[in-house]
Amino acid sequence: MKRITILTGHYGSGKSEIAVNLALKKSLNTLVDLDIINPYFRSRSISTFLKENGIDVIESTIENASGSDLPFISSKGSRPFVNKDLKAVYDLGGTRHGAKLMKQFDAFIKNLDEIDVLMVVNIYREETDSVAKILATIDDLEAASQLRITGLINNTNLMDFTDESVIRAGENILKEVSKKKDIPIKYTCVEEHVKATGDFLGERLSLRRYLAEKTLGIGGHYGKR
Amino acid sequence: MGKVLMKGNEAMALAAIKGGCDAFFGYPITPQNEIPEYLSYHMVKEGRVFVQAESEVAAINMVYGAAGAGARVLTSSSSPGIALKQEGISYLAGAELPCVIISVMRGGPGLGGIQPSQGDYNQITRGGGNGDYHLLAFAPESLQETVDIVKQSFDLADYYRNPVIIAVDGLIGQMMEPVEIDKEVPKKTLQAKDWAADGHSGERGKRNTIVSLHLDAYDLERHNLKLKAKYDEMIQNEQRYELINIDQAEVVIVAYGTMARVARSAIAALKEEGINVGMIRPISIWPFPRKAFKQLPDTVHTLLTVEMSLGQMNQDVHLANNGRLNVEFYGRAGGVVPETQEIVDAVKKIVKGRNQ
Repeated sequence: MKRITILTGHYGSGKSEIAVNLALKKSLNTLVDLDIINPYFRSRSISTFLKENGIDVIESTIENASGSDLPFISSKGSRPFVNKDLKAVYDLGGTRHGAKLMKQFDAFIKNLDEIDVLMVVNIYREETDSVAKILATIDDLEAASQLRITGLINNTNLMDFTDESVIRAGENILKEVSKKKDIPIKYTCVEEHVKATGDFLGERLSLRRYLAEKTLGIGGHYGKR
Repeated sequence: MGKVLMKGNEAMALAAIKGGCDAFFGYPITPQNEIPEYLSYHMVKEGRVFVQAESEVAAINMVYGAAGAGARVLTSSSSPGIALKQEGISYLAGAELPCVIISVMRGGPGLGGIQPSQGDYNQITRGGGNGDYHLLAFAPESLQETVDIVKQSFDLADYYRNPVIIAVDGLIGQMMEPVEIDKEVPKKTLQAKDWAADGHSGERGKRNTIVSLHLDAYDLERHNLKLKAKYDEMIQNEQRYELINIDQAEVVIVAYGTMARVARSAIAALKEEGINVGMIRPISIWPFPRKAFKQLPDTVHTLLTVEMSLGQMNQDVHLANNGRLNVEFYGRAGGVVPETQEIVDAVKKIVKGRNQ
């Protein structure tokens, strides 16, 4: 895993839950939450829990106004590019509007070799439900962030209705995207409750929905179970 | 179309399109902005009308105009925005115009905050507009239920010739969940809108006017009684609720929307400790589902109302209960969502107090 992982994608693709899981499971020490799109379900909403687990959360929120949705960006967001001791994951807001925030760090990004820019995809989101739409989204996000997307994360799921075939449907589409763009599928996310024993492309990332659970308890799971 | 994963606000917007919405008029406010954002693109694509008005007041009066012309109309907003719309809503009810209103509630009063709340229960069920009127008001808990209700609401609005409001807290607007958009929902048999001021008076041979002004007191009273007959029909036919785990329950939680989901977690946790707790989950909040309270077994000694407010629905719980059972309340306000453990503790306190 590279020292810095930047997560981008459409809103609702699962970036924040993945950022939290990566930070916890890969022993990262910094999570940079640059989401200026969503007012709720942001990784900063569990920053106390993350801090207890040795993860410093750099939040783009004005102090004492955690509920604000002002497009405020913490200047600390550039730290991981400068301080080599930081192992970080960036959680960007959805769409090109979230991705374009990366542009301001241009001057600090000296070594692209230590950075992975991963696009999170769930093919059950309307905006990324086909190869053509995903390719168009990649172009859009790259143009906005001025960063090359170096890999894909298959986060195809229907929450509690997910089974192996759901994940496989995403994999089949992403395989084609991967071939066309010549970028690998880096991770496949499988939520803890999903019974899927097969091998998936890339590393398997066992996922727990910390942000949804924080607010809703098991009531956050709604459906089959 | 099978299941897709959607954000609550997007799902409500798409459901409105599927429900036959001809026109949307609104003004942006967090946490419901994805509704106009989605509609700004998709309504135009479908050849329908989308207008971002210059204010909430303008938007609701555009709703009045379009509904008066016979269109199926939607507006959406959040708490302070709905407050601004109250005058127009009263006019719509007075002129018997159908429309659908989505309210994605945030903390108040005043500008308040942008975190989720249920602090507008009184605003929605009692109305901030003037006069004897009611809105048919629903408060779903999941995205599937929300989508189904939004779709039905256009039919219900036309059937009753009355505004229908769907009230969700901000969390439902912002959360992601799988939904089946094309799921069948019950339909009403509807009359043609021969009352609409639709520019066809020549063919009709009579001119339709849309008005809520009745200067003669007896005339206005007759109009009031006509409206009341519709409200009575709603009270008879539209009480919707879910009873959860009430057999053998000693405490029954009353909660709606997101609070009902957190309460489900609390009920499961308490069951593991051998405490039987049930729930009345109002789905319609006006009419309030009084019928549900008559179905509780004798094992129940206490109702516990849980709200993301300091006790608004609790008044309706007291009225429905009519002094029969003990009523307790637990709530948080300002955008704070009670967590599972807080509800568990509130129930345990009741049970412990009773056993002492």
